[in-house]
Amino acid sequence: MNARAPQGNNVVTQSLAQIGNCGLFLLTLLAAIPRSLRYFRETVRQLWFVGAMSLTIIMVCGLFVGMVLMLQLYSVLSTFGGTSASGMVVAVAVYRELGPVVTALLFAGRAGTSITAEIGLMRATDQIDAMEMMAVDPIAYVATPRFLAGLIAMPLLCTVFCAMAVLGGHLVGVTWLGIDNGTFWSNMTAVVEVHSDIVNGVLFKSLAFGAVVALIAVYQGFTTPPTSEGVAYATTRTVVASSIAILALDFVLTAFLM
Amino acid sequence: MTDPVRAAPEDSTLVRVRGLTTVLNGKTIFDALDLDIPRGKVTAIMGPSGTGKTTLLKHITGQMRADAGEVLVDGQNVAQLSRERLYKMREGIGYLFQNSALLTDFDVFENVAFPLRQHTALPEVLIRNLVLLKLQAVGLRGAARLMPNELSGGMARRVALARAIVFDPMLILYDEPFVGLDPVALNQVLKLIRTLNQTLGITSVLVAHELEAIKQVADHVFLIANGKVVAQGDPKTIANDGSPWTRQFFGGDADGPVPFQYPAGDYAQALGFAGAAK
Repeated sequence: MNARAPQGNNVVTQSLAQIGNCGLFLLTLLAAIPRSLRYFRETVRQLWFVGAMSLTIIMVCGLFVGMVLMLQLYSVLSTFGGTSASGMVVAVAVYRELGPVVTALLFAGRAGTSITAEIGLMRATDQIDAMEMMAVDPIAYVATPRFLAGLIAMPLLCTVFCAMAVLGGHLVGVTWLGIDNGTFWSNMTAVVEVHSDIVNGVLFKSLAFGAVVALIAVYQGFTTPPTSEGVAYATTRTVVASSIAILALDFVLTAFLM
Repeated sequence: MTDPVRAAPEDSTLVRVRGLTTVLNGKTIFDALDLDIPRGKVTAIMGPSGTGKTTLLKHITGQMRADAGEVLVDGQNVAQLSRERLYKMREGIGYLFQNSALLTDFDVFENVAFPLRQHTALPEVLIRNLVLLKLQAVGLRGAARLMPNELSGGMARRVALARAIVFDPMLILYDEPFVGLDPVALNQVLKLIRTLNQTLGITSVLVAHELEAIKQVADHVFLIANGKVVAQGDPKTIANDGSPWTRQFFGGDADGPVPFQYPAGDYAQALGFAGAAK
């Protein structure tokens, strides 16, 4: 596979070929899940790396997103005298869109790149071939645990992100701008629905985004040319492809789920 | 019922290559290559760079498929094995990578224990004893808790060797085991290869360029060039067999059957002098 960007007329063809190969790789990953169950400890280890180690960035970003959102909404809604609805709008925006999308983008930057670089370097230093030679299936031992870890970690991280964003909104809205605490929470609980906002937004979307980011990261790692330049290109491709896939998938999911 | 693809144990040939033909990116790497690797001996594969020595090892281990021909390991046709049987066969083969290929997340002990943990349900105490036994054999029991990035090139090669022999394999494949080693480390690796062959009777295949080192350990040498075996024989006498291939390779001549120039078009034309030459 060529590590360089496709040239000229080949862009569309090569992009389609990449998507097709990625789809076939997904089938290989899914088929390897039963074999990877014996590497449960490796999945837990990866869950720690991609999940727990991403908590700081997710929490900090979630807090600031909520704070900024509340500031902007307060400024706009105050012209209509509707500042009491700010908390509710922050919550709906975060649960339905910002939470899953921003968490997935951060996850791609923090965990996706790390997965791609790690697997790419394992290939470059023959560690993947060494596993093959020790009769250990690298798809079951290396790829699937990372894919599953991404799938499990994303909804959990998204939940933390949303909680921190609401907290950030509360800090700015109630503590700083003086919105009534009771109004803030009652409006929010009156409007936010478990199925359409929490299940469809936080859970369903983040699961889909987690699967896409983890798949792209693992695929890029496994198919990167085993050179330092190849690993660098693959890491960049993970961020670019994941970002486009997240935003495009978000549109599709939103259209179907609304 | 006897296995039709499995040879009788008394077969003196462990690896049999017949008519192996491989074409990579339009270049013929092997052209109906035939060779036999005897059981219990140390066999060296030599040849100019890019001649396909490592590719041959990949064919033996089933990492690569040939365009034609067959590779039989212990009587089993590698290309026809199912994934499960291929992995089972690999459990009986140790492979020493040129760059050692140690797992960088694990320390020395865990690297050697890795195959045992993956393929056995041995109690921890037995795994510990087996790993220490192998590390003692390569002289690195004291380095058991070092990480791969704390090892020198020679030490990493010996740890990889300990990992390769942890299952007491029937065959060990060494890919350029002497590259980048100082004389002390080179002699240590040489001693280990010889000891493993003599004490355990492990069949060894070495891909290397160092004739002096090969002379000390190998029983037989194959010189491969242009996709075929161009010379073979005793490592102590092969350099004097008189063929142009051995004369160039072992004499270190820059030009000869292996051309100095990579195949290219007309030089004058490339420099833009084609018109002036007329």
